[in-house]
Amino acid sequence: MCLFLYVFSIDVAGVEMIISRKTRLHIWFRLLLLQASWNFERLQGIGFFYVLLPGLRKLYSKEKLLEVSRKYTGYFNTHVYLAPMVAGAVLKLEEDQASGVADPTVEVDDFKEMVAAPYAAIGDALFWGGLRPLAAGVALFFAVKGILWAPLIFILIYNLVPTWFRTVFFVRGYRQGMESVELIQKHRLPDWAIHTKETAIVVLGGLSAFMVFTQLTQHQLPSWLGLLTLIPMVMLGLVARKGLSTLFLVFITVSCIFLIGLFWADVVYLFTSWGARE
Amino acid sequence: MAINLAFGALISLICGLDRVAILQIMISRPIVAAPLTGLLLGEPLVGLQIGVMVELLWLARLPVGAAVPPDDTQVAIASSVLAIVLGQRFNTSGIELLLLCLLIAIPLGKVGQYFDHYARQYNVRLIRYVDSALDRSSLLVAELQHLRGLTSFSLAAIGTYAVILSGGLLIIPFLWPFLQQPLSYSSAWIQLSLPLVGIAVILGTINVSRAITLFCASFCMSFLLMWLV
Repeated sequence: MCLFLYVFSIDVAGVEMIISRKTRLHIWFRLLLLQASWNFERLQGIGFFYVLLPGLRKLYSKEKLLEVSRKYTGYFNTHVYLAPMVAGAVLKLEEDQASGVADPTVEVDDFKEMVAAPYAAIGDALFWGGLRPLAAGVALFFAVKGILWAPLIFILIYNLVPTWFRTVFFVRGYRQGMESVELIQKHRLPDWAIHTKETAIVVLGGLSAFMVFTQLTQHQLPSWLGLLTLIPMVMLGLVARKGLSTLFLVFITVSCIFLIGLFWADVVYLFTSWGARE
Repeated sequence: MAINLAFGALISLICGLDRVAILQIMISRPIVAAPLTGLLLGEPLVGLQIGVMVELLWLARLPVGAAVPPDDTQVAIASSVLAIVLGQRFNTSGIELLLLCLLIAIPLGKVGQYFDHYARQYNVRLIRYVDSALDRSSLLVAELQHLRGLTSFSLAAIGTYAVILSGGLLIIPFLWPFLQQPLSYSSAWIQLSLPLVGIAVILGTINVSRAITLFCASFCMSFLLMWLV
């Protein structure tokens, strides 16, 4: 909340801002609904038009507004947490076009199309591929211990970074326009995506060890047996890499454990009854 | 029972919308959605246990581009509701019933993927409405079409929840007397295996070189530390 108020309260000296703070806030809130009409033809297209409309209304009169609006109902798709940056930059470019200070060689539409796909790839790798497993891994440590705050821990850990991106990058996009692309390069986000994924793997390794160790201790079995878990896990990982579905892997694993459980119960029963006869 | 099902439907709707259409603050993740359901139905620990088992299962399936991952949100919510409602009916609170509910809900959750797919397909019609509204110079109507998309996502969420719930309520009471005892021999190990399968799938599909080496090193180090301490 503090970050939010701070970011939206700053107006940088020397940067012309035609779109008022209130309208920018309005646009920011609309960004939370970006995917409400997600569809297979234009993906976030209608959503992007919906997001930009309050800003465009401030820049253009009726006829021109309709013409510009049509431009934004077309195909658009990027990562939902990086869309604010694209929206901010596009607003800045539209603002420049409306006030006649824009570079005539630059088409706003081209810029939007140019950045959307790379931002989507970076966002998918960083947030879905890296941050989400990392936050889940950390929260599951608490959940396995039966701590009911685990969901809250997950939400807090996960949302810190996306909230930062959604607010700061939106404002930076609006201030810097096309130059906001340099922000992504400066922060080396693709490298961060790889580091986050590696950290997630390490955390998940620790989590697996913790769960297996706890289980063996509860069943009073020798701890070294836990190291054997690595064999089926790596095998399942390799099989998953070949494209086998999670549903199939769950079915196979559960069926095997269920059958072994039944067999073991029979073995124990036989030994017990045999011992009783002796 | 009806109140419990209605509470479940409410969470299913809110979390279902968070999944794609609005916010994306991840209250739709099973580790949040299932305990939240449990909390509202008076048994948060049941929800937490289900959340732990489902969270990692499909985490490797990324919602990239037009890909629609399986609906783990509705699986987690519906199986939590099933476990609590049927637990009260059979007067049991063991992990066996919880596992049975989850194992029935997981394949039924595949339906959610179709519903989600259909919702996105249905939203294609909105493009035509937006275009014609703009042709009529009506920006307000064009703007409102975007919000109409929420209806299809809401229906997809509730539809998936209803399918899993009704399937579970039909199948589980029939299977429970036969599976209660056999499941008790292996329930603890099945409970452990589900998150481990999820981690294995992440390990296999994550795009990181040396992923297996890193995982094994981390696993062994943590294991040795716990053994020594």
